[in-house]
Amino acid sequence: MKEQRRVYPMEPRTIMQTSFAKTYLNYLLPELANIGKPASSLSVDRYVDKEIEKTVRYEVDMALALSAQGFAWSHALEHKLRLNVNNNNQVGKSQSYLSHDGYRNTMPVNHEPATEKLEGNPKRSGTEAAAEEEERLTYLRKLIPGGSGEMMLDDEILLSELGSYVSCLELQVNVLRSVLQLN
Amino acid sequence: MLHTLESLESCNYDGMDMTVLERQAARLKWQQQYYVVQNNNPVPLSASSVPQSQGLIGSNLGSGQMVELKRPEVFLGTDDLQDFVNLPVSGPDFGESEKLDLVPPEAAADYCISRTFNCQMTTPNIAVMKEEREDVILEKIESTTGSGRVSFNKRKAEAVADHKSKDKRIRGEGESEVKTKCSTEISRNSSKENSKASEVQKPDYIHVRARRGQATDSHSLAERARRGKISNKMKCLQDLVPGCNKITGKAGMLDEIINYVQSLQRQVEFLSMKIAALNSSVELSVQNLPMKEFPAYVANFPAAAKLPEMAGLPCFQLNPLQKESVRFMLNESLHPPQTEGVARASVCITEQSLSSSSMTQLQPFSTWNMDPQGLYNMYNMGFH
Repeated sequence: MKEQRRVYPMEPRTIMQTSFAKTYLNYLLPELANIGKPASSLSVDRYVDKEIEKTVRYEVDMALALSAQGFAWSHALEHKLRLNVNNNNQVGKSQSYLSHDGYRNTMPVNHEPATEKLEGNPKRSGTEAAAEEEERLTYLRKLIPGGSGEMMLDDEILLSELGSYVSCLELQVNVLRSVLQLN
Repeated sequence: MLHTLESLESCNYDGMDMTVLERQAARLKWQQQYYVVQNNNPVPLSASSVPQSQGLIGSNLGSGQMVELKRPEVFLGTDDLQDFVNLPVSGPDFGESEKLDLVPPEAAADYCISRTFNCQMTTPNIAVMKEEREDVILEKIESTTGSGRVSFNKRKAEAVADHKSKDKRIRGEGESEVKTKCSTEISRNSSKENSKASEVQKPDYIHVRARRGQATDSHSLAERARRGKISNKMKCLQDLVPGCNKITGKAGMLDEIINYVQSLQRQVEFLSMKIAALNSSVELSVQNLPMKEFPAYVANFPAAAKLPEMAGLPCFQLNPLQKESVRFMLNESLHPPQTEGVARASVCITEQSLSSSSMTQLQPFSTWNMDPQGLYNMYNMGFH
């Protein structure tokens, strides 16, 4: 077999991207293959679909957690996934680690007034702005896996973790999209 | 100046942080080298050069932390930092992140005030400067501690401490001694006296020591340093989240981040559902592409331009574990282990597939170079 050439780029950014993609797919595709087997043997009905959905979602999330080792959120995500699997093995409902779906549309998002206030009123009471920020930070803590843990109590750490989480989410979306494009 | 500080070290101080002195000594050694350079480049220490020297010092002291000093530069409109300083700046270029100035206006103005004073301190007479600063220091200490009689050495030490504490914002980034250095450096520079400095000093000396209206106890200073770090991180996040350049203010930024995270999570959910649908109905196959086209694909990453260097950003430093894992993965691609069940593959993903901003253009494809021992076949079979 011919020797493999060096195929990874030298810039750290692209190294990170390709290594992430590689690890992600390395994990995900075999798992999807395993999922595929029982599906072919069973008749397609809603329950099975939900099961498959749930399993696929689990694998997708687990792939993310395993591809981005070393972050607090990835550790928390892996932990939560394993816990969920143990608890919900019998339950067939589709579940993601985002268990707070109800919050999604209740968060008030007012861009204009907020920025106007902040720009036009530099002497606006610091407590109001701080309270708003706190509200948003707590909401962000709910979004990021492990955000309510003791690791993320510090704002700086929370923001760092957010940054890495956003990057990895982007990478994950790209990888998934490319997988879908193949088919 | 050197001898006074050396005598400082020999004195006994209550409550004096010895690490300050150690750092001071180390800094002085560095300064000696710096002054060689400085004397070779006789640049008039104008208003801009003082911040520049601070930038010089700052970049020598801390890596990737010039942002704290660059921002005031931008604010003051002096942009000759680039011309004066030719130092390697480690870390990413924070020039782009300066679009958003998260420094609250009053703090920036205060900073301006204190820096204005410093800027007046051009190359003056050493003795005059020193004495005036000592008077200043003495007065300040008297006002704070209430003690009438302080030894000269102790004054110097406390001046150092005051310098460090007052400008905690810079201190938090490891450039605490900037103002002190400024003073020592200027006093060491033997040049013509600047009478302006002496005039301005007396009425303004209070501003030097502390920003106007700011408390000077350690808690608020620590708080200020922490806020500086947080705004630093917010800038990094701003680079990550698309479309945040116009948003000013922390709350707006956080809103954007929330929206973006939610949208990404929704996308992931949607895509995983599609994959599940695919999985149950169609076989999931992967195509093969020749390996030599890989570097071209990678080079065309627009995401590479957009996504920050995850390994390079100081705010998202890869910890040693991650670096190790990256290295391991890279090694794997070079020397794949000869184990059976391992899928040895290198992934080649085209630019479009990795561009998170172009949602509608989807012409990507993954390529796998599979182990000729038939792992590829295994995958294909598994999906039937």
